[in-house]
Amino acid sequence: MSEIFSTAPAIVLFPLASFLIILAFGKWMPYRGALAGIVATGFSLAVSIWVALQMALDGAGPYQETLYEFIAGLEGEGVTLTFGVLFDPLSVLMLIIVSLIAFLVHVFSLGYMNDEGETGLPRYYASLSLFTFSMLAFVVSDNLLMAFVFFELVGLCSYLLIGFWFRRDGPPSAAKKAFLVTRFGDYFFLVGVVAVFAVFGTTAYAGENSFINQAADMVGDGTEYTFLNLSSQQVIDITALLILGGAIGKSAQFPLHTWLPDAMEGPTPVSALIHAATMVAAGVYLVARMYGFYALSPNVLAILALLGGFTALFAATMALVKQELKQVLAYSTISQYGYMMLALGGGGYVAAVFHLTTHAIFKALLFLGAGAVIIAMHHEENMWEMGGLKDKMRVTYLTFLAGSLALAGIFPFAGFWSKDEALFETLEHALGGADVLFVAYGFGLLAVIVTAFYTFRMVFLTFHGEPRTANAEDPHSIGWNMKFPLVVLGIGSVLAGALNMGVIKEFIGENNLFLAEWLDGATIGDEYGTAEFALSYGHYGDLLSEYAGYEAATLSPLGPGAIALGLAVIGLGVAWYLYRAPEPEPHMTKLGGVRTVLMNNYYQDEAQVWFATGFTLPIARGANTFDQGIIDGLVDAAGGVSMYAGERFRKIQTGIVSNYAALLTLGLLLLLVWLGIDGGWWF
Amino acid sequence: MSVPPEYYLILSAAVFAIGVFGILVRRNALMFLMSVELMVNAANINLIAFAFFYGNLTGQVFALFVIALAAAEVAIGIGIILLLNRNFGGIDVTEAVTMRW
Repeated sequence: MSEIFSTAPAIVLFPLASFLIILAFGKWMPYRGALAGIVATGFSLAVSIWVALQMALDGAGPYQETLYEFIAGLEGEGVTLTFGVLFDPLSVLMLIIVSLIAFLVHVFSLGYMNDEGETGLPRYYASLSLFTFSMLAFVVSDNLLMAFVFFELVGLCSYLLIGFWFRRDGPPSAAKKAFLVTRFGDYFFLVGVVAVFAVFGTTAYAGENSFINQAADMVGDGTEYTFLNLSSQQVIDITALLILGGAIGKSAQFPLHTWLPDAMEGPTPVSALIHAATMVAAGVYLVARMYGFYALSPNVLAILALLGGFTALFAATMALVKQELKQVLAYSTISQYGYMMLALGGGGYVAAVFHLTTHAIFKALLFLGAGAVIIAMHHEENMWEMGGLKDKMRVTYLTFLAGSLALAGIFPFAGFWSKDEALFETLEHALGGADVLFVAYGFGLLAVIVTAFYTFRMVFLTFHGEPRTANAEDPHSIGWNMKFPLVVLGIGSVLAGALNMGVIKEFIGENNLFLAEWLDGATIGDEYGTAEFALSYGHYGDLLSEYAGYEAATLSPLGPGAIALGLAVIGLGVAWYLYRAPEPEPHMTKLGGVRTVLMNNYYQDEAQVWFATGFTLPIARGANTFDQGIIDGLVDAAGGVSMYAGERFRKIQTGIVSNYAALLTLGLLLLLVWLGIDGGWWF
Repeated sequence: MSVPPEYYLILSAAVFAIGVFGILVRRNALMFLMSVELMVNAANINLIAFAFFYGNLTGQVFALFVIALAAAEVAIGIGIILLLNRNFGGIDVTEAVTMRW
């Protein structure tokens, strides 16, 4: 049983190896290192699937092991900092997603980067491998500190890849923005990690003394934590919020979402990787990973749900008016991650993980499809310059359509099942007594209409109607290396919903909700739900009802499912009605001032720039003045006095020997006089 | 054995004072060297006088050491004066002032 887990860390190490190899020898390798990346991620994918099969069929796991202890704490006190791995259903599922998307992105890059004759490809592939490695290591982390380390590495890789075309104007500044904005959130995360260390002395996710279990005990027996007169519940709330800061930054939730649309400056396959599987998914994964901790805190859950629901709607409205294909997808990513946060806050752990999974598939598909369109259109991204591509790019069109249906949440595509599950879980707990969830649910429902509308506005503008430019008349053809990933993901987008068909669970039975069973640890060792691991879905459910007061109302999922589907169809219908014409009108211009606000993203960027220049900068100036004037002033004054005194005193060094002799003699005489007075020679 | 020790000390102090005076007022480096020699010998007189007074040979031994030391010092001093003459065209110590601030 543990044999498999001694091999499993290799999942993480393959991409690291390929990173090092490409870094050293990339220039001389076939396809400039692409092959090494493909092989490495392919192996990672194979081993991940194998591990998953062992867990599903042979009941192996869960498994946690500390691999390396880099700072040993004092005996019985202090903290021990370690690197370790944790293989459980959640992390293994995520490993499969990440390595699958990374693998397909590598293949797609052959068409998008190599065939287009880009330069600097070894750097590109090396960064991709490092990116994959960081994310996989983040996923298998068994403690919060290690997670933080790789969380940061993920941020670094995104910086490298968004700024890949660093000779142009846009990408370097977009890369910097992504780095800085996420760093702002990560700062809170870091403080949160330190807080967890300070309060619990460990950051391990699993094990009887994991900080999650300790926190549950602390709230459970009402221990008062006396630091700053906070109760134990308040300490947990604050810590959870601090860590949430990192998740908000990485998962691009309001108000730290502004980096994500700009990140579209990077190569499109990178966008697919960032949005579907790696960087942005990291935030949601982090919250899901330590869900037992969040489940203890009803306040933070409510914030999470409201924030997620609000972001889902807020980002979706901005997607309505965008003209670039990738911009629409960028805002839809923010919006979809909002749904996941909503599900987590609404007590739908399975729903969130399910949506993370299906979203990874269909969003990667949409981005890769957009990449194929962009290549076909000779790097034109404006949808108004496209049109009529559906007959000329059959494979791209069909797969993109599957992805769009999934994104819009149309039955029976993947997104329908997962988005509906997220909404249903929220509603269920809202009816069960958590009233604030009604607001979040409302946001989520409204976002469904908007999502379906902007998704199909995008589809109609890009693929339907008459070609509007010469490029659209005669698109560049795309190769198998771009079609293959599209087809794989297209099939996934159609079928992935089968993982967890929650809406019709009354017909297929609870036991056939595969993902829920999987996350409950039904296929693996008994200890999964008990104190040793305490990571199972069932355990989280207990925590939610015991500490957060989330009770599920008895409610058939069919009704809410039909409502969500109906709303999605309305959105789709409106899009069809407005944009089906061969020469569609730019209907959005009728919105006038509202459109201007939406085009400018609610002036969020301006607000943040104001915050930096109007608020932070004066404070920084004041601090600088204090530092320069008072702190440095004191130091400089000490030096200045010495300098001045030295300048004067050195004049006594005349260079004339007689003067020195005279001073010596004088000194001797003075000494004698002093000795005489002191010794009482004369008096 | 009728000369009291005070006389030796007065002699020594006088010789020492002459040496100090020479160093303070003379500008000729050779005179400097001679003045230093006078001061050293003033110390020697003290050493011998006390050795004689206490009937102890240690002071005489020390005086011998001081004489050897003075010889070495003169050798080095004359070397320095030679270089002084070569570099500054004379042996006036107030002329050689390039090593100041």
